[in-house]
Amino acid sequence: MKPPSLARDLDWPLMLAGLALSLISLVAMKSATMTLNPDLAVKQAIWAVAGVIACLAVASVPYPRLIDAGVFGYLIAVAALLLVLIAGTVKLGAARWVTIFGFSLQPSELAKLATACVVARYLSIQTAPIGMREILWSASLVAVPSLLIFLQPDLGSSTVLAAIWFGAAFVAGMPKKLLGGLAAALLALLPCAWMILKDYQRTRLMVFINPGVDPLGAGYTIIQSKITIGSGQWLGRGWMSGTQSQLSFLPERHSDFLYSVVGEEWGFLGSVAVVLLFGLLVWRMLKIAQDNSDAQGRYLATALASWIAYQAVVNMGMVMGVLPVVGVPLPMVSYGGSAMVATWVALGILQSIRRFGTRF
Amino acid sequence: MPSRLAVIHRLFVVGLAGLVLRLAQLQLIDGASYRQQAEQNRLRVIPEQAPRGMLLDREDRQLATNQTVFRVAAIPQDLPKQSGASKRTMVGSRREVFERLSRLVHVPPDELESRFEAHVTVPFLPAELVDPIPKPLALRIEEERFALPGVVVESVVSRRYPLGPVAAHVVGYLSQPSSQLFPLLKEYGVKPQDLVGRSGLEGELDPYLRGRPGGALIEVNHRARQVRVLGSRTHASGQTVRLTIDAQLQALIESQFHGRPGACVVLQPTTGEVLAMVSVPGFNPQAFADQDTKAVQAYLQDQRSPLMNRATRGVYLPGSIIKPITGAIALEQGVITRHTTFVCPGYIQFGDRRIHCWKRDGHGPVSIREALMGSCNVFFMEVGRRMGLERLRAGFLSVGLDRRTGWLLGEAAGHLPSRRLSEGEVAMLAMGQGEVLLTPLQAAVMISAIANRGWLVEPWIVKQVGEHRMERTHAVPLGWSPDTLDAIWEGMDAVVNDPHGTGIHAHSPLVRIVGKTGTAQTHVPGKTHGWFVGFCPYDKPQAAFAILSEYGGSGGDLPATIGRNLCEYLAIAGRQAVETAAVPADSP
Repeated sequence: MKPPSLARDLDWPLMLAGLALSLISLVAMKSATMTLNPDLAVKQAIWAVAGVIACLAVASVPYPRLIDAGVFGYLIAVAALLLVLIAGTVKLGAARWVTIFGFSLQPSELAKLATACVVARYLSIQTAPIGMREILWSASLVAVPSLLIFLQPDLGSSTVLAAIWFGAAFVAGMPKKLLGGLAAALLALLPCAWMILKDYQRTRLMVFINPGVDPLGAGYTIIQSKITIGSGQWLGRGWMSGTQSQLSFLPERHSDFLYSVVGEEWGFLGSVAVVLLFGLLVWRMLKIAQDNSDAQGRYLATALASWIAYQAVVNMGMVMGVLPVVGVPLPMVSYGGSAMVATWVALGILQSIRRFGTRF
Repeated sequence: MPSRLAVIHRLFVVGLAGLVLRLAQLQLIDGASYRQQAEQNRLRVIPEQAPRGMLLDREDRQLATNQTVFRVAAIPQDLPKQSGASKRTMVGSRREVFERLSRLVHVPPDELESRFEAHVTVPFLPAELVDPIPKPLALRIEEERFALPGVVVESVVSRRYPLGPVAAHVVGYLSQPSSQLFPLLKEYGVKPQDLVGRSGLEGELDPYLRGRPGGALIEVNHRARQVRVLGSRTHASGQTVRLTIDAQLQALIESQFHGRPGACVVLQPTTGEVLAMVSVPGFNPQAFADQDTKAVQAYLQDQRSPLMNRATRGVYLPGSIIKPITGAIALEQGVITRHTTFVCPGYIQFGDRRIHCWKRDGHGPVSIREALMGSCNVFFMEVGRRMGLERLRAGFLSVGLDRRTGWLLGEAAGHLPSRRLSEGEVAMLAMGQGEVLLTPLQAAVMISAIANRGWLVEPWIVKQVGEHRMERTHAVPLGWSPDTLDAIWEGMDAVVNDPHGTGIHAHSPLVRIVGKTGTAQTHVPGKTHGWFVGFCPYDKPQAAFAILSEYGGSGGDLPATIGRNLCEYLAIAGRQAVETAAVPADSP
């Protein structure tokens, strides 16, 4: 076997799309945090560099060993999630962080990676065709961290785990009638879900349906976000020149709503560029899944692609007011060290699948 | 097998396409509207009031001015935090600031707190705490400003009329602009709730008095805190307007009517300056400035029309006050001489129509002097008959009848007949009855022409606007000979100073007044308007006046008395002025 050359084996479009998104994130972050806390852009840059290094490191490891590590990571993630629930750092009304050696880490990001690995492994070792039993078992594997995350409460991230599971299970051959049953169960669960949602989550959903119900409260964010994006028009107001973001009319502008700042300052052209970069990114991920003949690698690639695709669409849809504000960051763009590194690790896993996988 | 991956891919692509469509809708289709909303988010205008120009009388007494009311307010964004010492200001918490302020204004700190909470709106606009405060206290608080961060002393300017109803019709009043007027004023920075001049000089000179409001355009952040000033313009105060009115004389005359409807105009006969312009009943312009709707409604509903300026807008039959003019015209036309005598048997015959003199048993043989003194109707009807309509009309027109004096305040033009008249009607016209109407202002101008020996002056009331002197004497010579004027003067002198004169009530030991009474018929049977016109002093006329008492009976009664009082006031005031001027400047 010839010694694998990392540079030659990399999927460069995937790599470049990731780098472009990270770069856009840093430039937009610089503008969004000018009047907030200029250190955040620097921190984000450090995390991006760390993420790229992690990506390359992960890409050098054959993915079956990564999945082994993921299974171990799953246990750590579940333990960490329990720890967060008991002794987490409360930020913005939710306990999502755990502080280790002075770093605030978000175990839910580790949970996303690890759950993808665990689900891919579980589905790939089944000898029989995927049936009800396998679906329920794999769902249970996801349900444990998902529930723990939901209790933080972090509705957005818990739905991301569901998306990861669904992508893998769907591609692994979920029977069609189960698909229908799943859809029916979701509908049936909606009223129950409503019951267990926190007040602020209900308000967010209500406000999504009609932002006018609470224009100064929960609806404020959606209204301001739409104004922010819309006021960008064709070419935007220019970097550092968005009045909505510079004058803080837009809340959470460095995290979940950073895409709105891109819309305001770079206009339609800039916003569409970001959409296209995500299109490229996910297309390459799905291509890697498709090109891989090994079920384990294919399921894992699909799970990771579903994760990125889901978060991208839900985040952008939410800041544009077409999806409820569930609090999902935009991968590699929104502020967040754990998320940045975790996403880059996911890209590294895909590179590994491409390098070490068996192709059709 | 790859079909399921393709399904996921297609779902994703559909999602992205939806996002791009949504972007297009937000940024391209509705972009302009969102851009506007973004601008509204960040821009705020802070208006700055421009004080209205003052109205002063000829002696610089204030007829209309502005009162500055001081009040204490707090700017929320500049106040220290609710509790805990602020590092920057070294003045402690908001509570401590209120406690310090409390000692100055003698309002408990809790009360200040609750007022602050009640009035706070946005962080950059002051919330009222104490209103009003006396000026010394305002200065005291200003001195303590470094110990009172966020506390400001604000001044609010409001219109004041120190003399209340005096010269109300000249001054006019303010009110909010009507819906027709507002669009025209909007571009001058007038806002719908602003008060603008609506009548009198407040109305006519509004563009000069108004000034130009200033203001600042500021950029605010999401907490409505000021980020920076994008632009500002300082206000320009309105211009001070100095009038020819003597407010003391004005007040004196107003009081003399004792609330009975009437009007009076006093002119400086050689220059045309309006020394007084009275219309009774009057009103208090303060009620309009204070937006006292109850009082304003009462004025509007009052049957006696207190808001109407009778001096310029009221048209009345002149009655006998026209006789000096008829006489002057007749003398000039050569219809009579000073010595022409007609016999008044108590009536005059026109064909089969007999018109009586007011004195049924007749004045006997009268010349112009006696005819004026006794106000003989027969003499002037005979003059009218001999003169004919054309010459009489021309004469009346020459002294300003049937046309505005060229002046302001919504003046009426009066009336002269333009149709052919019968001989009897011409005769009636010559003695001021029939189809002739004039305003008290026209009567005063007319009588000024006699007082100034033959000049038709244009009255004016504005002496100075800002730095611009508006004094202008515009006079047209009537071409009357000294003989004519002497004859009329002699007759008018007799009216007041001869024991048999009809205006004997105007006789004064202090000053030699000349005049003419008039009693004009009205459409109400048995009711007459009383007139008294004249001038004083005889030697060098300084004031010509026309006084009208609506339905006031005879001109020889109340109007003549008012005439005497106003002339005596002027004589005394004039003497005082002379005495004051005679005192050396450096004496105590």
